Amino acid sequence: MNRTKSPTRFALAASASLAAMAVAVPAAADDPIRIGFAIAQSGWMAAYDAEPFRGAVMRIDQINAEGGLLGRQIEYRVMDTRTDQQLAATVGQQMVAEGVDLLVVSCDYDMGAPAALAASAAGIMNISLCAGDPKMGLQGVGPFTFTANNSGQTEGIAMAEYATREMGIETVYILEDLLIEYHRSAVAGFRAAWLQDRDEATILGRDTFMNDDPSIASQITRLRNLDPQPEAIYMCSVLPGGGSAIRQIRAAGLDMPILGCTAMVDNFWLDAVPDLADFWVPGFFSLYGDDPREEIHEFLAAFEERFDEMPGSSYVINGYSMIEAYELAVTRAESTDAPAVAAAMQGFTDEQFLAGPSTYTDQLHILLDRPYLMMTVRDGSFRAVEISRPELIPDMQLLFRVGQ
Amino acid sequence: MRNFLQVMVDAVALGSLLALVALAIGLVFGVMRLINFAQGDYITIGAYALVVPTASLTPALLIGALPVPLMVAGIMLVVILLALATERAAFRPLRDSDPATLLISSFAVSYFLQHLVMLIHTGRPKSVGIGQALTTPIDILGLRVPGIQVVTMAVTAALLIALVLFLKRTPMGIQMRAAAENFQMARLLGVPANRVIAVAFVISGVLGAVVSLLLIVQTGTLSLRMGLMPVIFAFFATVIGGMGSLTGAALGGFLVGVASVLLQSFLPEGLRPFRDAFLFGLVIIILLVRPKGLIVIGAARERV
Repeated sequence: MNRTKSPTRFALAASASLAAMAVAVPAAADDPIRIGFAIAQSGWMAAYDAEPFRGAVMRIDQINAEGGLLGRQIEYRVMDTRTDQQLAATVGQQMVAEGVDLLVVSCDYDMGAPAALAASAAGIMNISLCAGDPKMGLQGVGPFTFTANNSGQTEGIAMAEYATREMGIETVYILEDLLIEYHRSAVAGFRAAWLQDRDEATILGRDTFMNDDPSIASQITRLRNLDPQPEAIYMCSVLPGGGSAIRQIRAAGLDMPILGCTAMVDNFWLDAVPDLADFWVPGFFSLYGDDPREEIHEFLAAFEERFDEMPGSSYVINGYSMIEAYELAVTRAESTDAPAVAAAMQGFTDEQFLAGPSTYTDQLHILLDRPYLMMTVRDGSFRAVEISRPELIPDMQLLFRVGQ
Repeated sequence: MRNFLQVMVDAVALGSLLALVALAIGLVFGVMRLINFAQGDYITIGAYALVVPTASLTPALLIGALPVPLMVAGIMLVVILLALATERAAFRPLRDSDPATLLISSFAVSYFLQHLVMLIHTGRPKSVGIGQALTTPIDILGLRVPGIQVVTMAVTAALLIALVLFLKRTPMGIQMRAAAENFQMARLLGVPANRVIAVAFVISGVLGAVVSLLLIVQTGTLSLRMGLMPVIFAFFATVIGGMGSLTGAALGGFLVGVASVLLQSFLPEGLRPFRDAFLFGLVIIILLVRPKGLIVIGAARERV
C-alpha cells in the first residue's frame, strides 16, 4: 500500500505545496484579496447555495465600493461543484492551487467538507455558507474552518423554548423525517430544551417517516388515536416530504400547531397546503415586508437594486453575514493569513452582523445562539412574529450527538 | 377496534395505489417481457404537466387550471403520448432483444426523462394546490377518513373492473391475453403485435396518469423522484404476485401496500425506521416459499 502514492493524495500534496508557495510570497498592499466559491450551481444543493452566494456577492460589492478591505479590493471567482462530493474536492483543490485567501464552500457538511479539506490542508481560511453541522469546523475539518450558521440543534432549541415560553404548549408529539442528519440534530436539540424542566411524559409520542413516502397515513392514525391529543406537533423535515406530510396532517383534520425547522421557511411551497395556519418555524428574516428590523428592509432594497429582483430564499442572509464576519476578522487581524484570521474569528463575541449577533470560540466554529425571527403562516404567507434568542447552549455531547 | 379499522383503511388505500402501478408494470411485462422502470417517470411527468414548464419555483397552473374532467383527460393524454413515444423510440427497436437488454433500456429512458424534467423545471421540489376539496376528512361509521383515501379506493376498484371487462369481453383484450400467454404463438395466429403492445402502453399511460393525479392530491408536491418509490414497490409487487400474471400484479401491489402500512403501524418505535427492511424481508420469504410468485401463469411454467 505504501509503495504507491494515490493520485488524489499526490494532487492534494502538490496543490498544498503550490498554495504554500503562493502564501509565502508576501502580498503587496495593493494586491486584491481573492475569494473562491466552491459551491453548487447545479444539482439539488444549488437550491441552498445560490442565494447565500448572491448575498455574499452583495457584501463584497459594498466593501469594494467603500474602498476595499485593508485598502485592498476583493476579487471573487465561483466554480460549480454540481452537488458532487468528488467534484467539490477537485474544485476546492483547483482554487487552492490558483491561490485564494478564502475558500467558501457549500451550505452542508457532506457537500462542503471535501472542498474545505483541500483549503485546510493548504492552510487557507475556509467558511461554509450555512452548514448546520458542528463537524464543519475544528473537529471535522480543521482549525481554519468555520460555518456561518447556527447548529441544527440550535433550531430545535429555539423552537422548543419559544413554544414553552410564548405559546404555552405543555405536551408535544415528535414526528421525525429520516432523510438527513440535520433532522436528527434538530430533534435532539428540541428534546434537550423541551425536557429541561419537564419530564419525558410530556412528549406524548414519537414517530418517524421517510421523506419519499407517498403516504404517512399510518403515522397520522397513530397520532390521532392518542388520548389526550398533543397540544402541538414538532416535525422536522424538508421538501418534498415535509410539505406532503403537513398537507396530510391537515387533511386528516388535525389542526393543532405544527412546529417546524428552518428549512421549511419561505412561501414557495405553501401551494401544497393552501389554507395552512398555525405552522411555526424559527426563520432568519422575513422576505415579506414585515421584518421588525430596519436594517433588513435596507438590505432588501439594496439587494433588489443590485439584482433586479427580491431574494428567492431567506438563506441569502447567511452569505451576506459570512462576508461580514470575514471582513471583521481580517480587519482585526490586519492580515489575510489564515492563522491570524482564524484567531480573530475565534475571538468573536456577539459581533453585530446583519443576520444577528455572532459568537465563535476556540472550540466551536459554529454559531450556537444567534437569534431567530420566529415566523408563522397566516393567509397564505409566512409572517414575522418576533425575534427570539435561544437560551440553552448545547454542550459537546449534544452537538456531536454522543450517547444520544 | 376503531383504530384497527382506521389502520385497515390506510392500508387498503396505499395498497390500491400500488396495485395500479403494479398493474401497469405487469401489463407491459406480460406482452413484451419488459420491466418498464420508466413507469415512475410517466407518473412524475403526468404530475409536472399540471403546471407551466418553467424554472420558476412557484409555477402557475397549466393543465391543472382546467375544469376537473378536462384536467384528468389532459393529464391522461400527456402520459399516454409519452408512453407511446417511449415505446416507439426506445422499446420497439429492441423488441427481439433479451429481457435484460430491455430492462437496461428502460433505465436509460427513465434517466433521460428525469433529466429532461430537471432541465425544464430544475431539481427543486415544487408545490401544486389542486383537489383541495378531496383532502377534507369524511365521516364513515365514526371513522374520519381523508377524502382522497376514499377516492383512491373507488378509482382503483372502478379501473380494475374496467380492465377485467376489457380483457375478457373485447377482441383486443382477448388478443392481449393471448399475447401475454405466448407471444410467438399469438403472432402466428394473427394477433397484430404492434397494436397489442401499443394498447398495453396506452393502458399503462392511463394508469400512470391516474396515479400521478391521486399522488398530487394526496401530497400537493412535485418532485423529480416522486414516481420512484411507488415503482420500486410495484416492481416487487409484480414479482411476488407472479411475473406475467395481471391478477398477481394487482394482488401483489395490494399486499405490499397493506404490509407496509401494517408494519408502520405495529412495529415498535425503535424498529420503525427499518420498516422497508422488514417489508423486503417479507418479499424474500414469499419468494423462497413460492419462487414463481403467488399466481403462476402457464407461460411461466417450465416445459419439460
